[in-house]
Amino acid sequence: MLFSPQVYAINIISNITADTASLSVNQLRRIYSMRQIHWKNGTPIVVYVLPSKNPLHQKFCKEQLRLFPYQLDRIWHKLTFSGYGVAPIEVATQQALIKAIKSTKGAIGYVENLSEVTDVNVIKIDD
Amino acid sequence: MLTSLKLMIRRTRLLPYYITALCSLCLVASLSAAEVNNEKLQVHGFVAQGLVNANNSNYINDDESISLELTEVGLNASYQLNNDFRIAGQAVYLNGGNRYHAGLRLDYLLLEWDAFHNDVWQARFYFGRVKNNHWLYSSTRDIPFARPSIIIPQVVYFDGFRDVAVGGDGAAVKLSYSDDVVGEIDFNFSRGKSAISDEQSDVVIGKFALGHLDHDLDMQASVYWRPAFSSWRFGISALDSTFTYERAQVDNFFDSDFVFQFYTANALYEGEFWQFSAELFQERFVTKGFYFPSFHRDDIGQGYYLQVSYKLDKNLTVMTRHEKFYANKDDTNGLELTQSTGGLVPSYFGFHHDNMIGLSYDFSSDFRINAEFHWMEGGARLSPIIQPDPIANDSKNWQVWAIQFMYWF
Repeated sequence: MLFSPQVYAINIISNITADTASLSVNQLRRIYSMRQIHWKNGTPIVVYVLPSKNPLHQKFCKEQLRLFPYQLDRIWHKLTFSGYGVAPIEVATQQALIKAIKSTKGAIGYVENLSEVTDVNVIKIDD
Repeated sequence: MLTSLKLMIRRTRLLPYYITALCSLCLVASLSAAEVNNEKLQVHGFVAQGLVNANNSNYINDDESISLELTEVGLNASYQLNNDFRIAGQAVYLNGGNRYHAGLRLDYLLLEWDAFHNDVWQARFYFGRVKNNHWLYSSTRDIPFARPSIIIPQVVYFDGFRDVAVGGDGAAVKLSYSDDVVGEIDFNFSRGKSAISDEQSDVVIGKFALGHLDHDLDMQASVYWRPAFSSWRFGISALDSTFTYERAQVDNFFDSDFVFQFYTANALYEGEFWQFSAELFQERFVTKGFYFPSFHRDDIGQGYYLQVSYKLDKNLTVMTRHEKFYANKDDTNGLELTQSTGGLVPSYFGFHHDNMIGLSYDFSSDFRINAEFHWMEGGARLSPIIQPDPIANDSKNWQVWAIQFMYWF
């Protein structure tokens, strides 16, 4: 057991300006499908993601959003390439994602291991 | 003959340089995009190149040879001016052979106004050149990785009408609602007109009509509904548009008015392995004049397509589609069409059917190859639609295959 890899849950984090302690699954879906674009305090939401083939992104989509990654890709491609909206900002690594969340007002993202992250707001997802 | 041969050779020699230049431009833009993308400015794009061939038809080219005329390149940018306003634009270069005229296009250039929003409602207005967002794939018909196949269902997304149907100069509004009980509802409305160039006019009405075709204002509306946490989505749409043809001083044809109305209903299912989509439609196409001043034709056409895809593994998807279209629902075998044209237009121009199979493989999150084969029957979705060309399209049955690589960022 000591040598088995530790399995972490996916944690939703935001920039401290978001000032939100919890979200429902549907609210999180609305945020990631770009249907809710402001926090309750009026701050614009800036959504960060990892590439769609990244295992953590795939896990996040299925477990937290209850969507398949291709469904989100389809929504984002449609928004981006039709002009009707913007897609989340994609970063290559978890470290880059954490850095972006810390430094961007209103940013939201996800991490696997909370113990490596400080100075962010952790959001609880209610079922 | 010799000149044509030289031109062909020159074109073939230039092609590798041309494709290299396109790919280099895309690479530079892609690298730059990674640097500039932030909460205000976003830059995205794509490049796709393929091989395509149509047998027994001039759908792609006149000599029915294997063609590289399957090029699609696009670059877009979006900038958030403040909390309420955003500007966005996209330019595309398209080359689809005879399907539509090759060249650069300003795909959209708009100002978005976020007029109202709360947790469940969003109301946004768009002004400028806006894309048609009303059918399942209308806003992504030229985006190789965001449409279902290389050749999309011609019964709905007829290439000959591409430049008119893709969008226009005007305004649009999108009203969205979502909650845990009702699900997601989107209402779209747009009003605008498309400028029709001489090249586009040739595709629609043919080269022998020397006058000018104009698109008057059109009006479109659609409603989409996804029940809460459902894998299904349903939609309906309606389009009403008119066109006028002004004859040239010396012309074989006459001043005319065309009316085109188009009503659709669609369903989409998105499962983990299976995907399903279908669109049913009815269209009304009225011709007043054109062939002679008192000419009047009022045809009601009907059609549908059913499409199923299955993920064989996380990167490989197989798909199949069945399409049917009758230009006149009361003349499904086209015999009346042949009679009314004195035998000049064969009966198979009264319908268009297609059965296709395709494969798609993802090399990564942003690099894909698609391949497909179509068994087509009939000529009702071959350009020019107003004056069919039975000499170039002398076969009821024809086939198309295509293979295309695509990269996006």
